[in-house]
Amino acid sequence: MDPIVELEDVTRIYRKGDSEIASLNHVTLRIEPGEFIALMGPSGSGKTTLLNLLAGLDSPTSGKIRVCGQDLAEHSARELARWRADHIGFVFQSFNLLPVLTARQNVELPLTLQSLSRDERRAHAEAALRVVGLEDRMDHRPSEMSGGQEQRVAIARALACDPMLLVADEPTGDLDAKSAQEVMQLMKRLNEGFGKTIIIVTHDPHVAEFARRELHLEKGVLHMERRR
Amino acid sequence: MRLIWLNLWRSPTRTGLTVLGTAIALALFCLLEALLAAFNAGVEMASASRLVVQHKESITFLLPEAYRSQIAPFEGVNSVAMGTWFGGLYEEPLPSGDRKQVFFPNFAVDMEPYLGLYPEMQIPPEQYQALMADRSGCMVGIATAKRLGKTLGDRIVLRGLIWPKRDNSPWEFTIRAIYTPSSETFDPTLMIFHHKYLDESRSIAKNMAGFYIIGLANADEHAAVSAAVDRRFANSPFPTLTMNEKAFNMQFISMMGNFKLLFRFIGSVVIFTMLLISANTMMMSGRERTREMAVLKALGFSDERVFGLLVGEAVAIGLLAFLLGAGGTYALINVAKWNPKPDFFPIFQVPGMAVLGALGIAAFTGLVSGLIPGVAALRLKPAEALRSL
Repeated sequence: MDPIVELEDVTRIYRKGDSEIASLNHVTLRIEPGEFIALMGPSGSGKTTLLNLLAGLDSPTSGKIRVCGQDLAEHSARELARWRADHIGFVFQSFNLLPVLTARQNVELPLTLQSLSRDERRAHAEAALRVVGLEDRMDHRPSEMSGGQEQRVAIARALACDPMLLVADEPTGDLDAKSAQEVMQLMKRLNEGFGKTIIIVTHDPHVAEFARRELHLEKGVLHMERRR
Repeated sequence: MRLIWLNLWRSPTRTGLTVLGTAIALALFCLLEALLAAFNAGVEMASASRLVVQHKESITFLLPEAYRSQIAPFEGVNSVAMGTWFGGLYEEPLPSGDRKQVFFPNFAVDMEPYLGLYPEMQIPPEQYQALMADRSGCMVGIATAKRLGKTLGDRIVLRGLIWPKRDNSPWEFTIRAIYTPSSETFDPTLMIFHHKYLDESRSIAKNMAGFYIIGLANADEHAAVSAAVDRRFANSPFPTLTMNEKAFNMQFISMMGNFKLLFRFIGSVVIFTMLLISANTMMMSGRERTREMAVLKALGFSDERVFGLLVGEAVAIGLLAFLLGAGGTYALINVAKWNPKPDFFPIFQVPGMAVLGALGIAAFTGLVSGLIPGVAALRLKPAEALRSL
């Protein structure tokens, strides 16, 4: 089976004034469909850079990235945006729901980029909210929900377009222990029950335990891998 | 569209105040244009086939009545009518003991040829007959009749501010005709009466007229006829100045100085201020939502969509302000017929072009004020924005 993510000798260098900082340094990585990966490492180790690169939000200084069968370097910014809408689900640390929209409208947001009717969008959004157990909160705004509920809405939003790959940057970073546990249980269910490939960035070893493979980055170098 | 609408109202006070501020500016713009149009109304109602002959020095100097028969035989002249500005003031006693004063333009004219020259004043034949048969009869515009609450057969008493009666009594007239203008640009407030009545009853300036109206056989001959008339009287004690009706009416506007420039200057300042207010609000709104823009891009929204979202919000603010400001002013003036000074502005309307202009200004203001946050959003790199926030 073809890998869902393939990085080949990827380097990402940021320039700050006259100095150059290598956020990722010659990283080679292969992730198979259906995997649950935890990207770990100290702050500044390149975890988020790696996540942004494989989601097409950033481009490497050198090296090749193939995700969901696409060489990301071959696409324009507009094509990458379209590709991201179809193939990638994003979950952020601070949820990033739009405060003016209800839970259902937030989940419908990425669906507006698809050629779906209003009823189809609504049905998809409601199905995604049922998956995350928030069918009774569909018409609530983010300000009327707890942090855990907000993150579950964000996960439903990421799932709405049925992407092949879910990427999550510190998804439990802003949650209490109980909510974090619930969110990770949900992630696990999405991986095992729905076959979603999941990559999460985390500092928390308890969160990482839900993944079947841990990748450790340090100073931009992939230096350790652990499988469960 | 839904997202644009919802985002507009995330800060209702700010959006409300911005819309209100812009709406007031657009309302002011429409009001200024209505005032300009009101000043120009006399010019708009002018006909190219009519000339006006006045004293060379000023409209306030009179011309001999005998000029009428001397002008009539000129080549290219179809008919001639004389007229004199009467300047009478209508006064009505009030129950409180005070007197209500109403002003409307009133002239003494050579009735038969005058009405032939002004087909814009439409009256039924029987009213025409009654008017011609009564020397102290008068004709009033429908707007003045309504304003005074008068109808056919009613009496109107005017105080002659320029022309006192021989016995110093007030001037009394009977309404014999009420005209309806044939177009919206013709003044519906005029009052005209027989020149003979003025001449017989006034104590001074007998056999004199304020001006002559010439009806041309061919409008293209206006320059030749004007020159011929003025040449004819050049060396007389009463030299003339002949011009087309538009130029005649324009001289009253020019007496007020270059108010058009002043109005336009005020309008420009208002619009520029409005642009700054709107741009400032949109920039604040855009800056506050940098993270949201980055998130939308991460979710797959293209740069152009995010740009459109911000510019769309700014344009929506402009259009809301247009509906409130220009729409409200149009409804108040053109539909509800509000007029700040009916005596002074017999025709007071927001011109259609002014409404279109306000729409253009509102859309332009929205576009320009949305461009700054829009371009910032266009250039926003989501990876960097999400990392730095």
